[in-house]
Amino acid sequence: MGVIGLDKIKTLQRNPANIRNLCILAHVDHGKTTLADCLVANNGIISSRLAGKLRYLDSREDEQVRGITMKSSAISLHYSTGNQEYLLNLIDSPGHVDFSSEVSTAVRLCDGAIVVVDAVEGVCPQTQAVLRQAWLENVRPVLVINKMDRLIMELKLTALEAYTHLQKILGQVNAVTGTLFTSKVLEERAEKVKEEVNRDKDPSGDQVYDWSAGLEDADDSHLYFSPDQGNVVFASAIDGWGFSIQHFAHIYSQRMGIRTEVLLKTLWGDFYLDTKIQRIMKGAQTKGKKPLFVQLVLDNIWSLYDAVVTRRDKQKVEKVMTSLGIKVMTRDLRHSDPKVLLFAICNQWLPVSKAVLSMVCEKLPSPLEMAAEKVEKLMSVRTRRFDSLPERTQELKTAFLQCSSEINAPVIIFVSKMFAVDTKTLPQKRQRPLNQEEIAQRREVARQRHAEKLAAESLERATQSGSAPGEATMTSLPLKPEEEEEQKEVFIAFARIYSGTVKKGQRVLVLGPKYDPAQGLSLLPEGCSASDCIQEVPHLSCCTVENLYLLMGRELEELEEIPAGNVMGIGGLEDCVLKTATLSASPACSPFTPLYFEAAPIVRVAVEPKHPSEMPKLVSGMRLLNQADPCAEVLIQETGEHVLVTAGEVHLQRCLDDLRERFAKIEISVSKPIIPFRETVVRPPKVDMVNEELGKQQKVAVIHQVKKELPQGRSSDYQHVDPDGLVTLTTPNRLATVCVRAIPLPQEVTVLLERNSELIRALELMNSSLREGRAMDINLRILEAIAELKDHLQSLLQERKWRNAVERIWAFGPRRYGPNILLNSIKDYSRPSVWQCLEWRHSNDQVRAPASPLRDFDNSIVSGFQLATLSGPMCEEPLMGVCFSVERWDVESVPFSQNSDTLKEDSVSPEALRDVSSHGNSVDATTERKMDASSVDCYGPVSGQLIAAMKEACRYAFQAQPQRLMAAMYTCEIMATAEVLGRVYGVLGKREGRVLHEEMKEGTDMFIITAVLPVAESFGFADEIRKRTSGLASPQLVFSHWEVISSDPYWVPTTEEEYLHFGEKADSVNQALKYMNAVRRRKGLFVEEKIVEHAEKQRTLGKNK
Amino acid sequence: MSIFTPTNQIRLTNVAVVRMKKGGKRFEIACYKNKVMSWRSGTEKDLDEVLQTHSVFVNVSKGQMAKKDDLVKAFGTGDQTEICKQILSKGELQVSDKERQSQLETMFRDIASIVAEKCVNPDTKRPYTVSLIERAMKDIHYSVKPNKSTKQQALEVIRQLKETMEIQRAHMRLRLAVPAKEAKRLREKLKPLLQVVESEEFDEELEMVVLVDPGCFREIDELIRCETKGRGSLEVLSLKDVEEGDEKL
Repeated sequence: MGVIGLDKIKTLQRNPANIRNLCILAHVDHGKTTLADCLVANNGIISSRLAGKLRYLDSREDEQVRGITMKSSAISLHYSTGNQEYLLNLIDSPGHVDFSSEVSTAVRLCDGAIVVVDAVEGVCPQTQAVLRQAWLENVRPVLVINKMDRLIMELKLTALEAYTHLQKILGQVNAVTGTLFTSKVLEERAEKVKEEVNRDKDPSGDQVYDWSAGLEDADDSHLYFSPDQGNVVFASAIDGWGFSIQHFAHIYSQRMGIRTEVLLKTLWGDFYLDTKIQRIMKGAQTKGKKPLFVQLVLDNIWSLYDAVVTRRDKQKVEKVMTSLGIKVMTRDLRHSDPKVLLFAICNQWLPVSKAVLSMVCEKLPSPLEMAAEKVEKLMSVRTRRFDSLPERTQELKTAFLQCSSEINAPVIIFVSKMFAVDTKTLPQKRQRPLNQEEIAQRREVARQRHAEKLAAESLERATQSGSAPGEATMTSLPLKPEEEEEQKEVFIAFARIYSGTVKKGQRVLVLGPKYDPAQGLSLLPEGCSASDCIQEVPHLSCCTVENLYLLMGRELEELEEIPAGNVMGIGGLEDCVLKTATLSASPACSPFTPLYFEAAPIVRVAVEPKHPSEMPKLVSGMRLLNQADPCAEVLIQETGEHVLVTAGEVHLQRCLDDLRERFAKIEISVSKPIIPFRETVVRPPKVDMVNEELGKQQKVAVIHQVKKELPQGRSSDYQHVDPDGLVTLTTPNRLATVCVRAIPLPQEVTVLLERNSELIRALELMNSSLREGRAMDINLRILEAIAELKDHLQSLLQERKWRNAVERIWAFGPRRYGPNILLNSIKDYSRPSVWQCLEWRHSNDQVRAPASPLRDFDNSIVSGFQLATLSGPMCEEPLMGVCFSVERWDVESVPFSQNSDTLKEDSVSPEALRDVSSHGNSVDATTERKMDASSVDCYGPVSGQLIAAMKEACRYAFQAQPQRLMAAMYTCEIMATAEVLGRVYGVLGKREGRVLHEEMKEGTDMFIITAVLPVAESFGFADEIRKRTSGLASPQLVFSHWEVISSDPYWVPTTEEEYLHFGEKADSVNQALKYMNAVRRRKGLFVEEKIVEHAEKQRTLGKNK
Repeated sequence: MSIFTPTNQIRLTNVAVVRMKKGGKRFEIACYKNKVMSWRSGTEKDLDEVLQTHSVFVNVSKGQMAKKDDLVKAFGTGDQTEICKQILSKGELQVSDKERQSQLETMFRDIASIVAEKCVNPDTKRPYTVSLIERAMKDIHYSVKPNKSTKQQALEVIRQLKETMEIQRAHMRLRLAVPAKEAKRLREKLKPLLQVVESEEFDEELEMVVLVDPGCFREIDELIRCETKGRGSLEVLSLKDVEEGDEKL
């Protein structure tokens, strides 16, 4: 593995003072991976010639093809300066927004970060994001201003211009840091004020208000980037050079005889060199002099570029080389591309790796110097105060701070992600060069085999019989390739050890994110170790560390043990760790705070296998993907769709590629997810589409128009619709009649029912068990909740027409717990209400005896209602917020009255039936059974007919009211800067979004916009908004509620004004109709659309057509 | 002289003919293509968009008009437009290409959505999506029969799909109560019909909660009714036994 051996790294790992865990962060294409390449090349792992071109850490194929990094990957580097030797655990991170989750995983494991900024582009959206992330994780950043060559070659700036440009960039970066700092201070202050207010509540003397924002007191000078602080490097990774002020300060202090400290202070800033008095003076700008930085530093570089690249002046180049004491190979000197020569010179003169690495070693903290504040932040989960953790947990803080790798130090490891690698790349399986002995051994084996074969052959020839030994060797041969083919993805945990030493085969506790150390400690006996079995503690499991790896970019090196403070890979955790976890040997450890993700996944697609028989493969593949990707979410919806949620289009592409080629290995197809709708009815409108008052007559006309379409192909004998929406329907055998009316429920009721669906389901369960007379142990708390729900409903249904409605509720639907109500408005039919379980509490045995004359057909009505609410007439989507009130219900009880004149006779039946039923249940049942038997021949059982009749009645009743479609809505929270606010509004408006409110985030220039957006319009929304705002706005979508689409899908102009306004056909777009037809078309239902709008007239064609 | 030579042959390119036999005579009307079905389904309301001409023919391609006497004799009226409407709604027609195509397409979709609605993946107890079923139907080369109901065809498709993929009709959950006397006998008879027995209690009467294939429902219903002479009861607990709610992997 290159120049330094594994043993060296092992020894370095033991000295945490010289370990630096750092990551490279930047906006996309600012040169993170190129810079990483330079650092890697410094270690001799790749040739320095290839540095910047190879992109060694981009190991995935699509990363190389696309030229962007898609995952964070780590590599351990060795750096020695003076007499110190350092071990650098470098993590390269992606810059694209879609992969900001990978950045989170990288930042968590580090103590320091290199923030790379493009010298031309300056601070970009992702630069802000990563700075914020580094800030939130308490990671100390250093700055690298990269691509300095672009200032020279592309922008053709003079050295002086470049200097002002660089100053500007530094200012921008510091401004971002400044806002982060102020917002934090303000936040802290707000908290303090809150506490103070709390304290003030108890009357305790005089109060002193502190009006200062606290900004003045807080010291923030150490936060900012400044070259004289030594935390800024100017570099051009592609040309291989980079420097910090220190480097030049050293050179010039020797050459000019000025003290290094002075130079350090003055080299960056408004200073100039007065050549006459040989002194450094202040105020270069006002006096029109060249600042020191330009004169001493930039000019040199500019002249080098000029000589080598622009003018290609050989003599001058040689002169420069001798003055710098650099020798370049003749091959490079003669190369036709001047960049090669430039690279060769610069790489020796100002090697970028050295500049960056020395800054890193000096400025970034080692694991030993971890801030106490950071530890507390890591350990206090879910905004719990650190002080509230149990004492033994608090003690662990010292372990963190000491970072000791002694045997008795508790092992604490954080796994930030799981990544999949091919089994082939594991060190155990990798092919390695054979040493002499092994070659000899193999040769011997082969010789033997050959001899055996010969012997066997001769034997065979002699005896014509199969030879056992020969066969055995033959069969053993083809087995090998089979083993190799069985390659599987192995998951390796990307982790860091904070304390203790982890050994191969060690057993550790896996703490789930909800694990509570206080609870764990109280449950576990004192002094039990990880090897003890623990089942009783929630969110705690135990596993064995099977393998330990040193992460070397694409490769892994196996290690026996790893001491504290290092980044590493752990094998064998895939069964107990999903994405992140905290591993510890001590149950007192609290799980780390969950990762902070800059972007939540919002792009949803439905995934399906190309061949339906490959479904199981897809499911297992998606499971693996879920584990391998920190940000992807995978879910199966009720519709059976497999939905993949990703952070963006590029991320989606990567996930799909992974799924196709690594995890599922099948062809898959991707589509828009199915968008759900709900159907409902509303009160008849008072005004028409042009806001004119609707007269009574016209309103009736509208209803008639709708109704005319209803009966299509049905004899009106069986059904009748009143003008006010009461539907009467008779079963085909004319034995039963139901009258149903549909009433819109108030919105609050719908919301209440929707929210309490779980409770209603529990209620339904209780009722069914009560009906059987089986006593169930009922949770008192649930009963209370039900009673509360009932009261709530009662308070919401106050109007006259809802009088006593809550008591009369017959059922909920669909599926017995939906947001629709079946109401019993039949005059003389009493059945136990749905609230019977409440009464059951009071009078235990009264209800148990089935005193109520429960009709046998009660269930059929409910089933019919359930079916009707499950799929409405508009586009077979579930109903919502509809109340079906059964106003009359007759069942013909005389089974053999074939000549019955139906309706009139029917109305007598309830009494008759009750008479029968009062005799006792069994008699009742038999009569009905007999009746069933009589009608079986033509129409099937009565119960079945009644279900169908009830369903149809509900549908017609629904259609008799003004129908509306309900769309699912997302609430959409968008963070955007002021300059792109207008664009955000534009995108929202285009997609039927509605802005609820916007406000400015305190202490920043960010606006937070809250809007609602129909789910149907959300496909591609995230991408569009990002594109239109050049990534400055990032939306987050969360499902919030159902909203009625105000337009009527069946609307056609009816009144005179509407005719005037819209014309006869109403050509303007009807949103509801558009949605409805899309759903109907998808489901293969009849769509009222002409196949051809205008037919072609007859054309007589010529002879040859 | 009517020689049918290529030069004087007039091809009716955009005419759909609707024929009707009435009173022993054949009548035809000339319509636009792809429009007659829309008229019948009620989406097209403008008669002029359907009819090429309001006159009634005996033979459209030859251009022979129907005689007025014949019309009156057959239809009882001389109003050509009225007769055209009658012929439009009752006559027989050639279904044009686009009409046929869209009809088959909607039927195909309809069948797929019925299948998707009725079936589940037996491994996960979750439904398949319509698009997946559509693809599977194409894979087994199912061709839609325009004159059979979609429901019938859906049942047919389910049977065929079972051979290529893991699919099953969603079970119904039923509760059976049978008096103790008949219980033993009945249980043996019921056994082959039941897919899964979820719970079984046997004290005064046999009570079972079972999952059955919806196709067996009638059979079970009949069995219980006849065997117990009306004393047993059957209750549908749920029509479809599927997993509910979203699940995160």
